[in-house]
Amino acid sequence: MLRYSAKQLLNMALTLFAVSFLVFALNELSPGDVTRKILGPYASQSQVDHLTREMGLDRPAIVRYFEYMGRALTGDFGDSIYYRQPVSTLIWDRLGNTLLLAAISFAVIVPLSVLLGVLAGMRERGWFDRAVSVFSSMCASIPEFAMGVFLLGIFVVWLGVLPGTSPLRADSGWAIWMQFVLPVLVVTFYDAGYLIAMVRSSMVEVMRQPYIRTALLKGNSFRNVVAKHALRNALITPFTVILLQLNYLVSGLVVVETLFAYPGFGRLMLEAALAKDIAVLEAGTLIAVSVTMLTQLFGDLGYMALDPRIRV
Amino acid sequence: MSDKLHPIVERAGREYADGKLDRREFLRIAVLLGVAAPAAYSMVGLSAPAMAQGAPKKGGTIRLGMRVQDISSPHTYSWIESANSARQTLDYLAVTGIDNVTRPSLVQKWEATPDLKTWTLQLRRDVKWRKGRQFTADDAIWNLKRVLDDKTGSSVVGLLKGFILSEFDDGQKDAKGNPRKSVKLWDANAIQKVDDFTVKLNGQTANLAIPEALYHYPLLICSPEDGGKFGIGSDGTGAYELVEHEVGKRSLYVATKTPHWSGMGPNVDRFEIIDLGDDAAAQVSALASKQVDMIYQGAISTLPTVERLPHVQVNTVDSGYTAVARTHPIKPFDDKRVRQALRHATDTEAVLKAAYRGLGKPGEHHHVAPVHPEYANIGFMKQDIAKAKALLAEAGHPNGIDCQIDCRPQPDWELLAVQTMVEQWKAAGIRAKINVMPSAQYWENWTKVPFGFTTWAHRPLGTMVLGLAYRTGAAWNEAAWSNAEFDKLITEAEGYLDVTKRREVMAKIQRIMLDEGPVVVPLWRAVFNYSDKKIKGYKIHPSIYIDIKDLWIDA
Repeated sequence: MLRYSAKQLLNMALTLFAVSFLVFALNELSPGDVTRKILGPYASQSQVDHLTREMGLDRPAIVRYFEYMGRALTGDFGDSIYYRQPVSTLIWDRLGNTLLLAAISFAVIVPLSVLLGVLAGMRERGWFDRAVSVFSSMCASIPEFAMGVFLLGIFVVWLGVLPGTSPLRADSGWAIWMQFVLPVLVVTFYDAGYLIAMVRSSMVEVMRQPYIRTALLKGNSFRNVVAKHALRNALITPFTVILLQLNYLVSGLVVVETLFAYPGFGRLMLEAALAKDIAVLEAGTLIAVSVTMLTQLFGDLGYMALDPRIRV
Repeated sequence: MSDKLHPIVERAGREYADGKLDRREFLRIAVLLGVAAPAAYSMVGLSAPAMAQGAPKKGGTIRLGMRVQDISSPHTYSWIESANSARQTLDYLAVTGIDNVTRPSLVQKWEATPDLKTWTLQLRRDVKWRKGRQFTADDAIWNLKRVLDDKTGSSVVGLLKGFILSEFDDGQKDAKGNPRKSVKLWDANAIQKVDDFTVKLNGQTANLAIPEALYHYPLLICSPEDGGKFGIGSDGTGAYELVEHEVGKRSLYVATKTPHWSGMGPNVDRFEIIDLGDDAAAQVSALASKQVDMIYQGAISTLPTVERLPHVQVNTVDSGYTAVARTHPIKPFDDKRVRQALRHATDTEAVLKAAYRGLGKPGEHHHVAPVHPEYANIGFMKQDIAKAKALLAEAGHPNGIDCQIDCRPQPDWELLAVQTMVEQWKAAGIRAKINVMPSAQYWENWTKVPFGFTTWAHRPLGTMVLGLAYRTGAAWNEAAWSNAEFDKLITEAEGYLDVTKRREVMAKIQRIMLDEGPVVVPLWRAVFNYSDKKIKGYKIHPSIYIDIKDLWIDA
């Protein structure tokens, strides 16, 4: 297991290096130059030239890449050209906000999905199962931005009981916890829809197994069979899926964060990409890729703990 | 009413009575020539709009939803948003109002010699920096010299280059290895200190737009002690002090304890800028849940929702913002009859309705807007399909023409305008294919595409826009248009301070644009934004410049 982990970590380092080069290259190739993006359409050409020289962008891309990577290896991710701050302070602050939103959402999504999925799946085609199935496929098929605008229309514009944006400041007229309600709701609806369906189908699968029928025929109570025989087996498949959601919750919240003006990691990355803010973009991508690969590693290890037949 | 009326006002009054001049036109002439607005209104038998808002109240906070950018270098700002932030602490030498009339500010009075080459600026004597020092000619000169220094990189250079700067070879090379031209003041005495409160600008050519240039948004007057940098605690002559600033998040200004030297405000204690990102929906949500009191600029897509919010008002003003469909002098557009056909085939009123919900004015194809002081009303050009067809046939295209128009997808009204025009043109046999490119790509090619749709910003004077966009060889002459008669007339127009004289020349220029010009101008956009009804004293500026000291809160 140690060898496996070490191999995976080495793999990760190589991937990170490749990704960092790809991001840099894509950024160089995409249309528009950095200085024009920063200065906007009305800046004069001489202003653009001026800033290009000041930022050292008139040097070859490959030189700038290795210079950047050299500094990044020592832990210096440089300064953001848009936000005018060291990337490290900027990113940790925004990542912290996103992790908070992700943690709250995760704490709602997982129990909710497991509960609904198990309850629905244990009596296949019962009325509860049908209701949950309709609900979950509806949620999963409405895109986040549509769901967000829909909820905003009801709770903000019409009823006026919740804040429409979440700057996470107490002096914006709304308590901080209220600023979390709508973003968490949107993420939950979108993500839980999918997860409920996963848990449910896994549960249905397990409930059809001969050993469940045997246990029931032996006279065990239904409650007992579900809790002791079905549950653990039914959760193996969803476990990986749940871990993959972590990944989405860290780097995939961009739509929700933009919609609610939430000062998070996803919105930071979107704006960095639009502004061609390469220092932020590189550091952010490296973090996102690390999170993906680490959750995969943990997924594999967790899988092993849940299912004794698997060995790596 | 004043005792002595300017003769032009008297004449205009008679023309108005005879029905030759419309009311708006008359009011503008009268006010430009020094008649106070209420008096001008009463001269045409109207009462001035009542000031129902009452006396300003003190206290409270105004929170503006706007991008929070890096604002550390005022003289090199390239975004209005940055200037809207620093404007609360730093003042300008002159101020162009919402009516497009430029008035004194730190400069109390200006005078130009008859040849418009020398401008004398009298500074106010009662202005103090917040940190206590007297504001003097040295401060103004330091700022003027700094923005005109090539090393600073300010866009003021482009505006005043012909007037006061000369090019020279500085021995350096640009990014492509070509020798780079630098600029410097054309004469050691170009910016001259006459006394402690008088500055003289000695230009090499005539320039009538000096007061307008003094309100070019990067020309904020900084304290020389701050070395051209701006940030938390920076000195200023303005009504507010910057106390917090975080790019991408929030800025906070607090009012100075002493009243502003202009006699206006500050009324509101705190001014906060909150960065809501670029998402238009987030702006509406923040406004709906009262997390901001004002949005810097509205979007057409959010207008229907905002109109339903009872506590919010939509502020609009007509402007010179537009986008033009412009041609290059290559086949088939090298024939002026084809260019005329394009204009005759366009129903500008319909484009305005379809693309911009009717907010604004229909275009008249000569790129001089009704809001420009020298705009001449030479008659509205209605759609005339038969004429367009005839012109095309005359030019040798009896079966119409095929072409491609390049445009960008954002903002959405631009694409809508192009689609509407392309549909209209079909009736005249002009079959245009629409090629949408990403904005960034469009800005790399905007002067190169043979037929494109390009957005143009508002500028206070018609001569400024035409000089930038259509003069032979100008950097932004995207149509690569060259017309000797036009060049001569635009230079002539730039030499008149008297608006009526300038308008006479402008009428000729507008006719040339209709006859020969390279563009279709479909609409003049109204600029609009949103504010909470509790904010009083606010009127939107055509460039959306925001000055908080003039506002107050009455809940």
